[in-house]
Amino acid sequence: MRLETRKLLDKAFSGLGLIAIAVMAMALLAILTPIIWRGSKAFVFKGTIEHRRVMLEQFDRGNSDRFNEELNLTAAARAPVYDMLEAFEAETAELEKTLEAQEDEKKTQAKVLKNQARALKREGGSEEEIARLEAEEDRLKAEAKALKEQARSLGETREEPYEALVDAVQELFGPMPGQKKPVLIRQQYGQTRWDRTLVKLHEVMVEEEWDYSNPDAMGVLVENPRIEKFRGTGLEPFFQYLEDHIDEMMRPKTTFYWQFITDTSKDSHIFGGIWPEVLGTIYLTLGAMIFAIPMGVIAAIYLCEYAREGRTVSFLRICISTLAGVPSIVFGLFGLAFFLNTIQVSDSKSVLAGSLTLSLLILPTIIRSSEEAILAVPRAYKEAALGLGAGRWHTVMTVILPAALPGILTGVVISMGRAAGETAPIIFTAAVSVGAPLKIWETLNQPTPALPWNIYNLCTEHEAVDEIRHVQYGMVFTLVAIVLLLNLFAILMRARISKKLRG
Amino acid sequence: MSKTANTNLIMSDAASRRQRISTLLGQSFLFLITSLSTFAVFFIFYFILKDAIPFFKLEGFTEFFSSTRWYPSGSPAEFGALPIFVGTGLVTLGAVAVAVPLGISAAVCLSDLLPFKVRQIVKPVIEVLAAIPSVAYGFFALVVFAPLLQNHGGIILSTGVWLVLGPILALLVIVLGDLLIDKLRKQIPNPKIAGAIIFPILGTLTLIFLFQLSTRLLGLEISSGTNALNVSIILGIMALPTVVSVSEDALQAAGRELREGSYALGATRAETIIKTIIPASISGILAAVILGVMRAIGETMVVWMASGNASRIPEPWYNVLQPIRTLTATIAGDMGEADHVTGSSRFHVLFAMAFCLLAFSFIMNLVSEIIVKRSRKKLGK
Repeated sequence: MRLETRKLLDKAFSGLGLIAIAVMAMALLAILTPIIWRGSKAFVFKGTIEHRRVMLEQFDRGNSDRFNEELNLTAAARAPVYDMLEAFEAETAELEKTLEAQEDEKKTQAKVLKNQARALKREGGSEEEIARLEAEEDRLKAEAKALKEQARSLGETREEPYEALVDAVQELFGPMPGQKKPVLIRQQYGQTRWDRTLVKLHEVMVEEEWDYSNPDAMGVLVENPRIEKFRGTGLEPFFQYLEDHIDEMMRPKTTFYWQFITDTSKDSHIFGGIWPEVLGTIYLTLGAMIFAIPMGVIAAIYLCEYAREGRTVSFLRICISTLAGVPSIVFGLFGLAFFLNTIQVSDSKSVLAGSLTLSLLILPTIIRSSEEAILAVPRAYKEAALGLGAGRWHTVMTVILPAALPGILTGVVISMGRAAGETAPIIFTAAVSVGAPLKIWETLNQPTPALPWNIYNLCTEHEAVDEIRHVQYGMVFTLVAIVLLLNLFAILMRARISKKLRG
Repeated sequence: MSKTANTNLIMSDAASRRQRISTLLGQSFLFLITSLSTFAVFFIFYFILKDAIPFFKLEGFTEFFSSTRWYPSGSPAEFGALPIFVGTGLVTLGAVAVAVPLGISAAVCLSDLLPFKVRQIVKPVIEVLAAIPSVAYGFFALVVFAPLLQNHGGIILSTGVWLVLGPILALLVIVLGDLLIDKLRKQIPNPKIAGAIIFPILGTLTLIFLFQLSTRLLGLEISSGTNALNVSIILGIMALPTVVSVSEDALQAAGRELREGSYALGATRAETIIKTIIPASISGILAAVILGVMRAIGETMVVWMASGNASRIPEPWYNVLQPIRTLTATIAGDMGEADHVTGSSRFHVLFAMAFCLLAFSFIMNLVSEIIVKRSRKKLGK
């Protein structure tokens, strides 16, 4: 090969490697950016008056006097909307009534003519006269029919499109004034967030329809402005008014809702925060740590300080690495079959069973990192302690462990992050989709909601998946933040240790 | 002998016996705790197998491994898991196709090309990639990536082709062109003229090929974003950190002597890496690939959320644009509906699947262990 090509090849090869690194960085960026950006919107967003109302009524938070002032302003802005709707109802009812009255009148006239014609026939009146009367009667009947048709079409407008409109308005603003308070919390309030408000406003303005007329292609979304259906009626200016005054009606204000983490959720996450899930995750993680740390550290001490290399120890090591390779879902099944169905640590799913399962999952990580930490302690420490006459156990407890503690802690913190983020092992052993925050003693026999499981649950099985995107993103953001903060902590600690060991 | 004599100088007989006993007790206690992980492994095998055997006893092996009809809730229920095995294999292959080339190039770059300071920055980035919980990846795959793929799949795929195939093909063109110049030396003695003829021709051919491929991909219509491709890409990214860190360790283990020897013989960096370092550390790289495969097979949340969960074999079997279903997702999804207590076939079939997963990962683990051990021996460490 010629030298130039070899050099070119060398450069290109370096470029390839750099591209690989760049792709990885891009992947990381692509995954983290939407999660952080949209996740932070669960905490900082433009909250509407309805959000403040939820906070006041459901969580006793906020100044009620100032809120009432604002509420009056919004009520004043909303009043014309409701007036227009009422006026339309009254107008159409009136029109219907007049139409029906006219129809009745025509009908009676037709009847009179019919009777006259019949009387003439009986008396043997002129053929011409009878025909004329009958023609008149038919004309009147047709007119009555036309009127009936008109009334019916009016009724149709009043029924379907109007009711759809009222429903859409109710989703935007909450229940109408004077209406009975609905049972479901989600129907008691309007839109709490400005972004959702705009979506709902759009739904009031246009009606969405799927067009499947072309059988070869996929369905096309068609947007029909609702105003077309109400052209010429009293509701025509309604839409313009809504568009112009939505700001005054909803009063958006930038809100910092840090209580998203500490609030319980209302009405399956339509309102409120994610405290039960966060608490459940904390319980599960700490529970796993309580079981895994002693077991892992003791095993590491044994393997490093006491065990003599031989068949037994290499067998132990194979077992530990096998345990590290077991797929997480298999841990979940094992937890179900062993902890719940066989030794029955609790009657149903529980935090205890989940913690035990998770602790098995992270055990190998803790053993390995503790072993590394213990091996990193300079031999001189140990030799000095033994030389001073300390026993082996004494040396381990007073010299080696304290020196290895930062390293062990690093491993522990990393596996905490792992335990907090794992979903598969807790599906069958600990997690439920809804629940109240648990008291500490309830963890022994109660299942809990947990962040990872509820992320899955909220974005696949929730009935209003699109309405609560911000909650899903907020949950993912919180989980990722917890795990990454733990890892950051570990990385910083490791940097400090390596500096100390070097210096 | 000397040890007992030594202690006797300080302690009485009784005290020394007491100490010996307590040491023995302490050691056996430590051993017991350590062997808990061994027990855990045996327990896992035992309890998964215990609940898997009733299924094989009742339904036999043939239907499970060869039938394509999976209707566990039907009457009569049908337990043909072949599509699920195919789906698992397809997704794993896809993940490997993403993770292995990227991971190995990144590892090479990390160990041999980048200066130390840059490495200090890149390594934590990889660790962050490994630390993100799988459910967050699943969420990303389902909520962000799947709609993107569904609406702009063609554009994404064709840019992907340019980004990934482009550099690789460029390298190939250089190598091939150079070989051709060597071959044509007799016909065209001046290498500059030969290069001026050969490189443009090869380059245009490659460009035409790339254009053809990307325009064809551009016109692609993807009916659903939750498909094997989506899952493969995300799983590949998830498996990357494992592949990178293990193969980087292997490359580092090849040692300075090999590199310096190669440079001394006049080889360029690329030649050193391709012809010396990679062959020397091939077994470690293989172990990295195996670990990556295991990570992809054992992953649950991403495949459950974003694979589409359709238990049929794609048409043709390698069509990654169709929804599939994997073993882990089936276990996770169906266990909620199966009867936990009385134990129906539907319950036990999931344990049978878990056993397949477990057995596979055990074998893979052993293989990688053996490979790593052998490579260490070969390198004399």
